[in-house]
Amino acid sequence: MRFDSYHPMINFIYFTAALVGAVCFDHPAFLAVSYVCAFLYSVKLNGKRSLIFNVCLMPLIPVYAGIYSYYNHYGVTNLHVNFIGNQITLEAVAFGLVIGVKIVTVLMILSCVFAVISSDKVIYLFGRISPKLSLFLSILLRSVPRIRARARRIGISRRGIGKGCAQGNVFERIRHVCALFSILITWTLEDFFESAASMKCRGYSLRGRTAFSIYRFDNRDRGFVIAAFSGILLMAAAAALDQTHIYYNPEIIMNRITAVSFVFYAGYAFFLLLPMLLQIVGEASFRHAVHANHR
Amino acid sequence: MAHFEIKNLSFSYPAAREKKTLQDINLTIGHGQYVTVCGRSGSGKTTLLRQLKSALAPHGKLTGEILFEGRSLKEVGLREQSGSIGYVMQNPDNQIVTDKVWHELAFGLESLGMDQKTIRLRVAEMASYFGIQGWFHKNVTELSGGQKQLLNLASIMAMQPSVLILDEPTSQLDPIAASDFLNTVRKINRELRTTIIITEHRLEDIFHASDKVVVMENGRIIADDEPRKIGEFLKMGGNHMFTAMPTPVQIFYGVENSLTCPLTVREGGDWLSQLFEGKEVRERQVPEIQEGRSVPEPDEVKDPAVFVKEVWFRYEKDAPDILKGVTMRVPKQSLFAIVGGNGTGKSTTLKTICDICRPYRGKVYIDGKPVQKYKGGELFRGNLAMLPQDPQSLFVKKTVREDLQEMLRGSQKEQAEQIEAIAQTCEITPLLDSHPYDLSGGEQQRAALAKVLLTNPRILLLDEPTKGIDSFFKQQFAQILKRLKTQGVTVIMVSHDVEFCAKYADYVSMFFDGSIVTTNTPNRFFSRNSFYTTAANRMSRHIFENAVTNEDVIELCRKNLKKN
Repeated sequence: MRFDSYHPMINFIYFTAALVGAVCFDHPAFLAVSYVCAFLYSVKLNGKRSLIFNVCLMPLIPVYAGIYSYYNHYGVTNLHVNFIGNQITLEAVAFGLVIGVKIVTVLMILSCVFAVISSDKVIYLFGRISPKLSLFLSILLRSVPRIRARARRIGISRRGIGKGCAQGNVFERIRHVCALFSILITWTLEDFFESAASMKCRGYSLRGRTAFSIYRFDNRDRGFVIAAFSGILLMAAAAALDQTHIYYNPEIIMNRITAVSFVFYAGYAFFLLLPMLLQIVGEASFRHAVHANHR
Repeated sequence: MAHFEIKNLSFSYPAAREKKTLQDINLTIGHGQYVTVCGRSGSGKTTLLRQLKSALAPHGKLTGEILFEGRSLKEVGLREQSGSIGYVMQNPDNQIVTDKVWHELAFGLESLGMDQKTIRLRVAEMASYFGIQGWFHKNVTELSGGQKQLLNLASIMAMQPSVLILDEPTSQLDPIAASDFLNTVRKINRELRTTIIITEHRLEDIFHASDKVVVMENGRIIADDEPRKIGEFLKMGGNHMFTAMPTPVQIFYGVENSLTCPLTVREGGDWLSQLFEGKEVRERQVPEIQEGRSVPEPDEVKDPAVFVKEVWFRYEKDAPDILKGVTMRVPKQSLFAIVGGNGTGKSTTLKTICDICRPYRGKVYIDGKPVQKYKGGELFRGNLAMLPQDPQSLFVKKTVREDLQEMLRGSQKEQAEQIEAIAQTCEITPLLDSHPYDLSGGEQQRAALAKVLLTNPRILLLDEPTKGIDSFFKQQFAQILKRLKTQGVTVIMVSHDVEFCAKYADYVSMFFDGSIVTTNTPNRFFSRNSFYTTAANRMSRHIFENAVTNEDVIELCRKNLKKN
C-alpha cells in the first residue's frame, strides 16, 4: 500500500520531479504547495517522529531569512537600518524566506526518500546503468558492516590479553589502536582474497553479466506513470507560462494570478500528494476487505 | 564414463619446487557418488580439491591429467565450469559477496547472463528447496553462521552443478548447524544425483553416508575404499587418522571381535547388543575417579580461582538479559568446560569474567578479589588472559616470533629465552619464522595460545578452542592444556565439542537460557544426559551405566569379555 511497493523507477521519477519542483519554483503559491505536501506526506510515512522533525525545522526559515537579509542589501523597500548602517530590505527578507522554505521542504522530501527508497532500490537503479556498478555498490554495502563488526571483534580479542584500545598509558593506547588497524587491514585483505575466489567460482569474470531484480513493472505502476506524467506536463506548462517564477531583485514582480493559475496549483498539489492519496485509498480498501472477510 | 578422472597428478608450489604437495594421484569418481576425502591438516586435501576447478587451481607445476566427463578439464571453458562444478569453501562469511539474500542467490546466474524470467524461477526454486523463503529479503548480516553456509550452498546449487565440491564446509559451524548442513548435502546427493566430493574433520555425520572414502597423507592417496574397509586399513597401519574415525568405528576396533564394523550410533548399539548376546554383563560401571584425581562437588569448592556470583548482564538498557543470575565456582588448576547451545550466553560469561562486559548485578571474584578492584591492567598481567575464537584477531606482525615479541619487555636475550620456552610448551618451535596467516587452523590456534600465555596468566579463558581443528591437533591441544594445569593454570573453556569435554575436562557445566543449569564431572554429567551427550554414551547406554568416552566403552567391553 505504501509507495515503496511501487517499482523503484517510479519512486525515482516521482522524487526527482518533486525535488526539482521544490528547488526551482520560487512562486509563493507553489512554494506553499510543496511545503504543505512534503509536510503531510512525511508525517503520513513516519508518523510522530516526522512531525517533531518538521516542527523543529520550522524556526530555520525565519532564522535563515534573518541571516540572509543581514548580508544582502538589494531591493527598494527599506525596512530598517541596522547598527553598522546597512539597510534591511523587504525584498531580501522575502527571498531569504523563500530559500529557507525551499531548504526545509527539500529536507522533508528527503526524509520521505529515505523511508521509501531502500538500498535494494538504489542498487537496482544503478543496475539499469551498469550491472557491474550495481554489484559494486552491493559489495560495498556488504563490506562496511562486516569490517565494522570485525574491528569490534579484534578490539575484544585484544582486550582479553590486556592490549585493548583503552588499556595502558597514553603511548601504549596509541600503539594498541595502531595494532588494531593493522590487524583489521591484514585480516580484511586476507578475507577479500577468499571472497574474490568465491566470485570467480561463480563466473564473475564472464562477459555479458545481467542484473537481477526482485521488482516487477505491473499495471498499477503503469497507471501511476500516466498520472505522474500528466502532473509533470502540467508543471512544465506552468513553468513555460512563467507561472512558477517571480522576481525579487530589485523589486518583487510576478505574473498576474488568473483562474488558470489555480488549475496549475491544484495540478501540482495533486501530483505531490499522489503517493499519499494512493496509500490512503489502499488502506481504506484493505479495511473494507478485512471487514468483508470477517462477515 | 566417470565424472572425474585424475591420472598421475603431481603438483608443487613455486615456492617449494622439491616438495610435492600432491604426488601421483590417481582417482576415479563416478556420477552421483558421495566421496569423502580425509587426512590431516596439510596433507594436500584442499590443494587436490582446488585442482578440480580451474578458476581456483593454485599456481605451480602440474603434471598428469584431470578428465571431466571424459574431456580434459583444461578444455572445459570457464562458463561451463562455473555452472557445472560447484565449490563451497570453509568460511561462510567470506564467500558471501552481496548484501541481500536474494541477490546472493542470483549472483551466479547473473554472471552467466541469464534473463530476469529465468533467474526469477531458479531463485524461487532454490529458496523453496532449501527453505529460505523466510529470510529471502533479509540482509546477510542478520543470518546465523549455519544460515550463511546454507545460503552459499543454495546460491551454488542455483547454477545446477553436476558436481559439488565442499572443502570443510562445517568447520566454522556449531554441531547442530553442521549436521543440518551435512544432511542437506546428503539430500542433494540422494535426490538430485549430484556428485559430492567433501573434506571434513567431523566424520561422524558423513562417514556412513559416503560411497567411498579417500585418505590422504603427505600429498599421496594412501587408501581409497568403501568406509567399512577404511577403518580396518587405518587401524592395521596404526595411522594417526584413525582418531578421526567416528566413535563406533574406533570402539569396534578397540575390542576384539569378528562382527561387521558399525558406522553409526544405531549400528554401534546393535553391535554391542550382539556382542553381549547370551552373556552376562557384570561390569556396568567405570570407576568415577580415574588417575587418582579426586573431584570435590562443585558447590563445596573452597577458595575457587574464579567465583561468579549471581551475575546479570545485558548489552543495552532495553535489550533482553543475556545472563540471568550465573553462578559458578571454578576450582584452582582445573579444566572447567561450559557447554550449551548457540546464543545462550556462554561467550558473554567469559567476557564478564575478564571484565570486558561488566554485569549490572552480581559480582565476579578472581582469587577472592572482585574483578573491578584489579586496577590499571593488573588483571591482564599475570592473572587472566582470554584466547579469542578467531586467532587471526591477535596477529599483528610478519612472523610468529615477532608477534610473540610484541607481548614482551626486557632485553633481547630474555625475550628470546621466553619465546623459546613458550614455543616449546605450545609446540610451535618450527613455525616461529612463518607468517601467522600461512599457518593452518590448528597451528594458528597454538600460536595464538602462545601469545596469550606470554602474559603469564594463572587463569586462562578459551572461547571454542577446538573449532575447525582436526583430531590430531585436538589431542595435541589437550596435551598442552594438561601441561599448563600442572604448571598451576586454571582453564575455563567454552565449547560445543562434547567429545573433547568428556575426555579432557574436570568439570562440565551446562549453560542454558542465561544461566548454568548444572555442573558436574564429565562422567556424571554426560552419563545422566540422554541427548546432549557423547556418541560413545548414546551407543552404550543400554548396556553400560556410565561409559562416556570411547576408552570407557572399550575398557568395559574388554573386562566383560575376559570374565566370560
